[in-house]
Amino acid sequence: METGKTRNKIIIYTVLTLLAALMLMPFAWMVFASFKSNNEVFSLPMRLLPREWHFENYKLIWEKIPLMTFFKNTTKLTVITTLIQVFTSCFAAYGFAKVNFKGRDLLFVVYVTTIAVPWQVYMVPQFALMGKLGLTNSHLGLILMQAFSAFGVFLMRQFMMSIPTELLEAARIDGLTEYGIFFRIALPLAKPGIATLVIFTFVNIWNDFMGPLIYLNSTELKTIQLGIRMFITQYGAEYALIMAASVLSLIPVLVIFILCQKWFVEGITAGGVKG
Amino acid sequence: MTSKRKRAIRTNLIGYSFVVPNFIGYFVFIFLPVCFSFVLSVMEWDGSDVPMKFVGLKNFVKLFGDSTFQISLKNTLWYAVFTVPLTLVAALAVAILLNSKIKGIVVYRTAFFFPYVASLVAVGAVWNMLFQPEFGPINELLRFIGIENPPKWCASTDWAMWVIIIVSVWKYMGYYMVVYLAALQGISKDLYEAAGIDGATGWKKIRYITIPMLTPTTFFVVIMLTIQCFKVFDLIYVMTGGGPGRSTNVLVNHIYNAAFVDYKFGYASASALVLFAIVLIITLVQMRGEKKFTDFV
Amino acid sequence: MKLKKVTAAALAALTVAGSLAGCGNSGGDTKPAAGDNQESGAGEVQSTQQSDAGSATGGESTKLTVSVWDNAVSPQFQAIADAFVAQNPGVEVELIDTQADEYNNKLTVMLAGGDSDPDVIMVKDAETQVTMKEKGQILSLDSFIAGDSLDLSIYDGAAEQLQLDGEQYTLPFRRDWYVLFYNKDLFDAAGVAYPSDDMTWDEFEALAEQMTSGEGSEKVYGSHNHTWMAFVSNWAVQDGANTLMSEDYGFLAPWYEQALRMQDNGIVQSYANLKTGNIHYSSVFEQQQCAMLPMGSWFIATLIQDKADGKIDFNWGVTKIPHPEGVEAGSTVGSVTPIAINAKTDVPDLAWEFVKFATSEAGAEILADNSVFPAVSSDTVIDKLASIEGFPEDGKTALEVKSLVLDRPLDAKMAAVRKVIEEEHDMIMIGEEDIETGIANMNERAAEAREE
Repeated sequence: METGKTRNKIIIYTVLTLLAALMLMPFAWMVFASFKSNNEVFSLPMRLLPREWHFENYKLIWEKIPLMTFFKNTTKLTVITTLIQVFTSCFAAYGFAKVNFKGRDLLFVVYVTTIAVPWQVYMVPQFALMGKLGLTNSHLGLILMQAFSAFGVFLMRQFMMSIPTELLEAARIDGLTEYGIFFRIALPLAKPGIATLVIFTFVNIWNDFMGPLIYLNSTELKTIQLGIRMFITQYGAEYALIMAASVLSLIPVLVIFILCQKWFVEGITAGGVKG
Repeated sequence: MTSKRKRAIRTNLIGYSFVVPNFIGYFVFIFLPVCFSFVLSVMEWDGSDVPMKFVGLKNFVKLFGDSTFQISLKNTLWYAVFTVPLTLVAALAVAILLNSKIKGIVVYRTAFFFPYVASLVAVGAVWNMLFQPEFGPINELLRFIGIENPPKWCASTDWAMWVIIIVSVWKYMGYYMVVYLAALQGISKDLYEAAGIDGATGWKKIRYITIPMLTPTTFFVVIMLTIQCFKVFDLIYVMTGGGPGRSTNVLVNHIYNAAFVDYKFGYASASALVLFAIVLIITLVQMRGEKKFTDFV
Repeated sequence: MKLKKVTAAALAALTVAGSLAGCGNSGGDTKPAAGDNQESGAGEVQSTQQSDAGSATGGESTKLTVSVWDNAVSPQFQAIADAFVAQNPGVEVELIDTQADEYNNKLTVMLAGGDSDPDVIMVKDAETQVTMKEKGQILSLDSFIAGDSLDLSIYDGAAEQLQLDGEQYTLPFRRDWYVLFYNKDLFDAAGVAYPSDDMTWDEFEALAEQMTSGEGSEKVYGSHNHTWMAFVSNWAVQDGANTLMSEDYGFLAPWYEQALRMQDNGIVQSYANLKTGNIHYSSVFEQQQCAMLPMGSWFIATLIQDKADGKIDFNWGVTKIPHPEGVEAGSTVGSVTPIAINAKTDVPDLAWEFVKFATSEAGAEILADNSVFPAVSSDTVIDKLASIEGFPEDGKTALEVKSLVLDRPLDAKMAAVRKVIEEEHDMIMIGEEDIETGIANMNERAAEAREE
């Protein structure tokens, strides 16, 4: 029995390590490429490690584009959008999952299926609308446009669904209002879901390119992805710097991921309540 | 009777009050423009001030005579048929593996999530490099193990879509793995303990407890994956641009070109409506399945 | 009950959507007649302009937005804007900068959305001015030109090339054409004479073969063909007999044969490798992997800059592009960058002042100072370009243009047709289709694209 467990563990570790290495390989290539000279990135024969380490690539990139401004803008947009998205989504999701109101299923199908409409199709009407509201070339416009995505509602609804109805009934009998139940019971139980939504919204807004491209005109408003792509088209041959910029833009998202995954672990104990 | 009705009204009001904060923003910024684009599908409009013209079903009729539309629909289906199950199985398997209490779990989780966060442009360039037909490391490896004529990948109409599928699974697996990981936390330990007493082994536990308990999540994952596969664009735009020829041209490429190269917004909307219809059907079928399953459990 | 609700919701949605459509139309009410109104409208503009003569900008708003692309590597845009502001105190010019590959898309959304920004539009691909004109998104400049009695002959025919149905909607800002770059050090080392300024394409191919040497990672290719379709189609239209809006693309066949032959003989790198490797032509030339490179005149500025920055340490030369048999040396292919004014601009007279300035001889000299080729081709401009520090002394011949064919004709359907023929180009160049099939497909699909 015990030896079986150790053997299982060893197998799991080996499999995971191999898979993880496979997943990270392109990324390793990217990181090492960011320390190469531009000419070496695509030179033959291909080597993973740089012949000489060009640490100055990371300094150069700050000089070529206003990275600091871009970082600030992106952070602002991402944080505000994520907050609004998470709050309104959780609220709506509880309604969809646990309150049996009239027209619920129809409305939900409408929500889900609009996710399927590619943005490219309604981009023009949306832009015209935002223009009429005076919201183009402003951060507010972008935030409002992205903060109410149906995706968040869908995701949170699925998490709320798995909260046992008996638990809520018990709370109702104890005299809690629906809002009380939402804040005191549903929300804490949906913590892993919230963590997931935070991660997704954060990543999506952080990496979004087309939105800022269409909506932002002034350089002082622009975002990091816009900056990187702009850099790529303008300095198309400077691959090493492109890789360096990409590596830099990754760091904040990674930090958020590592922070949020603590919530998954906490979720284990929270889930134990429900027994 | 009246008290019952009163209660129903009260429930409705409570329900609406939960939904409304999100709904207002959703209605103005997403629903309205989407509706507008649906209206466009029976119109002819080039994006100018000239009033649009009602053309009935002309745009839809045209769809079926357009070879590029047919190719892109076929490519999209091909892509989705492989990408959806592969991603789903990979995500679920890794999530179950990573749900165990082992040391260094954070490192592994982060590793699997990594591809999802990495910027598409950099990732696209790196994968193109790895799949380079003549001197890329993947083909060098294939030649090393004795395959004399390895595929030409992105320079071949037969293989380009496979590159896209492989990179898609690689990139999006981590995303759904996270959803599954979060959902796995919601499954009570007692269920497993009870099953253990009944003598269930590892695989049986997964088959009879984990997978059924994950139904709402799987519903979400299947729908989102399908939608995402039908909407795939960025990855292809960055990696092959729809080429070589039209071999990786997908629906959204088609829509994008109709709107931004040909300026036919009505026609673009009609193509999008086809995509919408496909997703709607899949969602409805899945929703029925979800209901049945949840009732059954 | 339920059904009622659904219908009600659907109706509401339709009404709102309808009113949205209405919004689009209400703007349109004034617009369809714009073609006729233009004259009188512009006349008014002119009169206000004359009334506050000296200060052309003394009006209400003094902020002008200009859409440009790749601003950070295109210093000429800022230089023109600065000079304009210096001439017109109190005016503010904001450049709306977008990356080149997304520029047209962003512009499409902004214009379709009815935005009054940008006031002035730099047109990246000249043929897009046709669709903008058809959609009533840009102003006719004729009355402005007549009002200021502007002399269009300074553009050496480029202004006429831009006319649509005899009307001028844009003025030419810059003009680029294809020239032949070469690596002097590689020619010296091989003991071969530099490429002459009067070569046919066959002679060029022979020279490229002669200049090919080495193996593996040491290999130096005789020439380099980038993956753009222009590297086949430009030479095919160089004689002016055919254009890329054609009923029959059979005229491309000999040029595909040559391109494929050069690729098969290892004189140029393979298309598939360049395409899958995202290889930029500048890195190939700058790393001395090719002896010659046919490329647009815009590459001159890059080379001068990179040499000054010490990124390249070899000597480069430039001469006229080779030509087809029976065509005069100095006939080349190129493109014109026009400037237009947004029909919705809130400052039409100021926008016109900017367009006039940017396309004037003074504007041209500012471009030349930034190693950019202006549309105005005066002797002063050519001398200025040739005397830029770092420009090869023997390169002046490349600047003399006998005739310039536009790489793509100004046609509203060009963008759609271009998409189609580029896809077939791709298939021919990677060897998935033979030339005959590829051209047959081009003919068929281009006809479809034109018809719609």
